[in-house]
Amino acid sequence: MTDTERPGEDSGPVRFMTQHIALDYVVRVSPLAERFGEQLRSGRIVGQRCSSCGLVYVPMRAFCPMCTVAMGEEDELELADRGIVTSFTVLTPIQYHGQKERDDYALASILLEGADGTVGQQRLTGMPLDQIRMGMRVEAVWAPPEERASAAGERGYGFGNAIEAWRPTGAPDAPTAEFAAHVL
Amino acid sequence: MAERCAVVGVGQTHHTKVRDDVSLAGLLREAGHRALEDAEMSWRDIDAVVIGTAPDSFEGVMMPELYLADALGAAGKPILRVHTAGSVGGSTAVVASHLVQSGVRERVLTLAFEKQSEGDTTWALGGGRSGGVGAGGYFAPHIRAYISRSKAPEYVGWMVAVKDRRNALKNPYAHLKLPDIDLEMVRDSPMVWEPVRRLESCPASDGACAMVLTDEAGGDAASKPPAWVHGTAVRSELGQFPGRDPVNPRGGRDCAADVYRQAGITNPIEDVDVVECYVPFSWYEPMWMENLGFAGPGEGWRLTEDGETEIGGTLPVNPSGGVLSSNPIGASGMLRFAEAAMQVRGTAGEHQVDGVRTAVGHAYGGAAQYFAMWVLRDTKP
Amino acid sequence: MRDVAIVSFARTRAHAGVRETEAQLLFPVVAGAIEQSGIPRKEIGFTCSGSADYLAGASFAFVGNLEATGAWPPISESHVEMDGAWALYEAWVRLQHGDVDSALVYSSGICTRGDMREVLCLQNDPYYLMPLWADHVSLAALQARALLDTGTVTEADLAEVAARSRRAAPGNPDAQVSGDVTAASMAAEPYVVSPLRTGDCAPLADAAAAVVLVAGDRAREVCERPAWIRGIDHRIEPHYPGLRDLTTSESTRLAARHAGAGDAPVEVAEVTAAFSHEELILREALELGDTVEVNPSGGALAGHAVMVSGLVRIGEAFRQIHDHGRRRTLGHATSGPCLQQNLVCVLEGDG
Repeated sequence: MTDTERPGEDSGPVRFMTQHIALDYVVRVSPLAERFGEQLRSGRIVGQRCSSCGLVYVPMRAFCPMCTVAMGEEDELELADRGIVTSFTVLTPIQYHGQKERDDYALASILLEGADGTVGQQRLTGMPLDQIRMGMRVEAVWAPPEERASAAGERGYGFGNAIEAWRPTGAPDAPTAEFAAHVL
Repeated sequence: MAERCAVVGVGQTHHTKVRDDVSLAGLLREAGHRALEDAEMSWRDIDAVVIGTAPDSFEGVMMPELYLADALGAAGKPILRVHTAGSVGGSTAVVASHLVQSGVRERVLTLAFEKQSEGDTTWALGGGRSGGVGAGGYFAPHIRAYISRSKAPEYVGWMVAVKDRRNALKNPYAHLKLPDIDLEMVRDSPMVWEPVRRLESCPASDGACAMVLTDEAGGDAASKPPAWVHGTAVRSELGQFPGRDPVNPRGGRDCAADVYRQAGITNPIEDVDVVECYVPFSWYEPMWMENLGFAGPGEGWRLTEDGETEIGGTLPVNPSGGVLSSNPIGASGMLRFAEAAMQVRGTAGEHQVDGVRTAVGHAYGGAAQYFAMWVLRDTKP
Repeated sequence: MRDVAIVSFARTRAHAGVRETEAQLLFPVVAGAIEQSGIPRKEIGFTCSGSADYLAGASFAFVGNLEATGAWPPISESHVEMDGAWALYEAWVRLQHGDVDSALVYSSGICTRGDMREVLCLQNDPYYLMPLWADHVSLAALQARALLDTGTVTEADLAEVAARSRRAAPGNPDAQVSGDVTAASMAAEPYVVSPLRTGDCAPLADAAAAVVLVAGDRAREVCERPAWIRGIDHRIEPHYPGLRDLTTSESTRLAARHAGAGDAPVEVAEVTAAFSHEELILREALELGDTVEVNPSGGALAGHAVMVSGLVRIGEAFRQIHDHGRRRTLGHATSGPCLQQNLVCVLEGDG
């Protein structure tokens, strides 16, 4: 965006006026996200199995989008805090207004053991950015219990700040067949 | 049954990084005026307006049809605003064609736009929050997956980047003009979202596109040959679910199958003369060649490598320069649809492909989950 | 034109401060409308929705709502960044083609996340009007003042509309506010922006709603008493309040004419009036005489879910035919400051 040109300076006619508009929104945590967040604070990742199709989702959600069947407490199950990197990208963060990221970082989709859906946009840590591979086995780096404040984001994906990042376990990579169907 | 629908006028702005000489209304009016001139009609002749644009936060104008009503000659008329993420330019044209094909309206003006210089796109793409990864950051893993699956050589991405920018040199409206572009320049450009390099990525542009759609009587009365609509389709699929394939999404395949069926296309690579498809990152050309049925799974990159997608090839793709050369996000889908119309009508000037009878326009958006397509021909369906 | 009917309508109660996500709000409403319609989900030929990113406070917010539709396998679907009433219009147009016979329409909005008196300022011309931060309540007050200045309407008339709307609402379990209030008590409320008092301004609410449309005889197969869309049209006026006669609603008059509203008497009209003076302007534009029952649901004044209210009015007009045996009703939706854009839908039951 062009900077504001002040009249009186020798910069020609005014072409742009900068107008920063700030709007405040209060996004309430849904009861389900609150429940998921409670479990995260206790160090548990809880997913759900759809009673109709049997697919396991994590984080929890109110309904299976494939079957359009409601999912509730009776469908819950605990998942391991380990999984496979199914896809990733290394980002150079664009410095837009409000951007807090500065250095290059990696985001990955992770297929947790026992889950059928991946969790996206997860941070990776503990290794050089140029050595990340699809199929890498990772485990959660949990924040200290007293710092796991927020519940899952209001859109229901992610782990809030309960899990800081995922680090390689050192175990051999998963074969392609195990994650090829989960590129998301 | 559906009425026939004709494209009788096409207009667009000179897409560029910053249009500081026009307001948002002025930008649209420029495109609209050109489309009406092309159609030899006036604002008064229009009986409905359909606009489309990407999220309101891109310009900070909520529901812009309200502000734009005056500029678009819509006072006293119906106006709709379509919003289907990146495919919006295409789905807007589809909604406009529905108004004609249903017999509800006779002469519809449809416009799509983005004035990205009046906002901060990356901020908006990030939902107004920190940590926004941009479109490239989202699609990069899918591109990696395609390259891994197909074993395509890495220069395929560079080839598309070069082809589209060289085509853009023949398009007076295109934004990026890189006369010296070559494979090495693309290869050496910085990596932005690994594995996508800067020169393999689309620009951010200010721009607008407009078309005039009429019923059969309007098409017959047009002094310039119209492009006739032979099929339109839209498909949406869930953006994330276990086992989803975002690399060759079913929504795209179903959308293509639907529109080909309507148009009687049974062998796409033979039956279609030119494709304007939505390629914002160069690898999407081979990916869409497969998704749209022009090549088998894992084979799309061969069409690029063999030069078949060049203007002189078997299936020219994006002779206009495509999204890689001009990307006013909300307008980009409609530009694909409009360029397809120009090819059929023979009005594409220097980037005209010879002997076009059948053209396909394509747009996609969201998590590669929204698709819009149309098929145009120089004869009536 | 092909005959198209509304065969089902489902909505959440209007209330402020919902905690669910928009998709969670929509899921049971969409499921409910589909179940009541008698049309299997997979048979639905087209889906269209209405919502606004600026209510959600996030770009592309509507994308998450797709989950409530079960969009797998992929569906033929579109979206307008407008009140769901316009999504219904688009679906009605689509059904005219003849290749598909049913459509799902839904709409949602959690407007209480933000301050609408700030957010809706962004609907104004970004160069000349928006920097004034002329919010929609103040603009409505200008219109109310203009109306009062004609001498044909008094503040007591406004209070009567406010009171009547709240008294009607107890009959509607989905209304947000209701009560046995009098015009006198409404007239004693403080001004929000003169001449509009608290009772004159609709309480803002969060909601979701859905309808199913079916074309042709199939509508009679699945629904005992479908509400046929006899006419539907929408028009817009110039944007700048100074260019318009704010005391009338010309676009409503035009839309009503093109929808054939005047072709036969209407028994019930559900109009989207978020301010009491708007109802009076709309009554005049729609030529609603004293025999027409206006907003038996309580209308928007009993709970206004931005982006959903218009679709809800049409749904309530459907209920009057489907549940209460009425013959001919009307639903109205509006968008923009001071009733800038208006949609009229005329419904009829068989027999």
